[in-house]
Amino acid sequence: MTEVLKIESLRKSFSELEVLRGIDLSLRKSETVVVLGASGSGKSTLLRCVNFMEIPSGGRITLQGTPIGREVKGAIAYDERELTPLRARVGMVFQHFNLFPHMTARQNVMEGPKTVLGLDAAECSRRADKYLEKVGLGWKADEYPAQLSGGQQQRIAIARALAMEPDLMLFDEATSALDPELVGEVLETMKELAEEGMTMLIVTHELGFAYTVADRVLFLSEGKILEQGDPETVLIHPKEEGTKNFLRGHGSFRLPEPQLD
Amino acid sequence: MEHNWDFSAVFANKQLLLIGLQNTIVLGALCLCLGLFFGLFVGAARYSRMRAFNWPATAFVEVFRNTPVLVQIMWFFFAFPIISPFEINAFTAAALGLTLNTTAFSSEIYRAGIQSIHKGQWEAAKAIGMGYVQQMRRIILPQAIKRMIPAFMNRAVELMKMTSLASVIAYGELMHQAKTISTIEFNPIEMYTAVAIIFFIMIYPAAMLVQRFEEQLRARE
Repeated sequence: MTEVLKIESLRKSFSELEVLRGIDLSLRKSETVVVLGASGSGKSTLLRCVNFMEIPSGGRITLQGTPIGREVKGAIAYDERELTPLRARVGMVFQHFNLFPHMTARQNVMEGPKTVLGLDAAECSRRADKYLEKVGLGWKADEYPAQLSGGQQQRIAIARALAMEPDLMLFDEATSALDPELVGEVLETMKELAEEGMTMLIVTHELGFAYTVADRVLFLSEGKILEQGDPETVLIHPKEEGTKNFLRGHGSFRLPEPQLD
Repeated sequence: MEHNWDFSAVFANKQLLLIGLQNTIVLGALCLCLGLFFGLFVGAARYSRMRAFNWPATAFVEVFRNTPVLVQIMWFFFAFPIISPFEINAFTAAALGLTLNTTAFSSEIYRAGIQSIHKGQWEAAKAIGMGYVQQMRRIILPQAIKRMIPAFMNRAVELMKMTSLASVIAYGELMHQAKTISTIEFNPIEMYTAVAIIFFIMIYPAAMLVQRFEEQLRARE
């Protein structure tokens, strides 16, 4: 089985502060991995190292079997000319959507295929239709981001990333900035992607989503993987004290199953 | 004191005034275009993290922003020719002073405009695989320029007014023409009044336009 992503002893420091302290992680094709952890545990940094929005301080990242960067005297050197085309193969969805406000939804989705991949107009247009439809927003194609709700904006942002037809999708707290009633539609879109076989690495606080959708859950603490396994094991029968505390904090207030019909 | 206003000498010399007006516009437009053009590069250099670019650009901007334009024009006319290998006439000296001054100011407008764009925009562009130039051209500049336009229009208004400073080195712009005519015709009151009115007619609509534009922009954001 080929690995889409392999991370070996990844380290990242910001001057004095060591945020990631040796992470090993592999994602097989079509696998959905959810990363959990308290704020400051390094989840976002981990994600941002995968598409080199942050340059790792140590360790190796291998995408589709190709190790990234050149080894120079024991350290890895990265060349922006290698990283730029690589980012096109890894989709990223941000907490704050970051849609391009001067472009319509459709133009946002077409921008990457057009400018980065240099595809012809017909193909750009085909992709725009396809992925807007996929996130259920074909009918909003000609609206500007400011005219859309947060949930719709985030779904457009997902379509924008998908239009690059990436090998791997990264979600960095994609629902954290949304009003509670808008979270569901974005999670639903993500779930569909997972079911269609997209390879996904997801940072989220939505434990229910992690439980239902993830193939594997990682719990990150102080820049290391404290615990990992299938959702049932990590979320329902955690072994580590750190994981238990985290889950306790998240489960302090809960509803019994609401009766909705 | 009583004064009998008599504008006949102003009208009699309208040909000379028109030449002056034309020279004013040529000088102003040229310095604006060149200043905006060079300002982009100086702004980029100031924005750069490389010290070899950043430091000279910063020094340039600070010198030109913190010295009077009049001094700059005088310097280029009287001091610069002594150390420069080529002839410098009044037009060149005035154009140099005003262009470099506009370059300094517009570089700051570019810089502030670009910095006003949220860093999430850079990140989103980078994340879909754009290189720096594409990020700038496709995502950042189209948004930033919209915010810069009122500042540039303000600068254009300021610049049109500053062209009158070129009269001190006898460049034949509107102010200098008026000064010349008024010494011949002994009508400084009418002459300078006429010049003020001409400037006002030229600049007021532009200033109004800037204001309208700024209001529109504020309403949209």
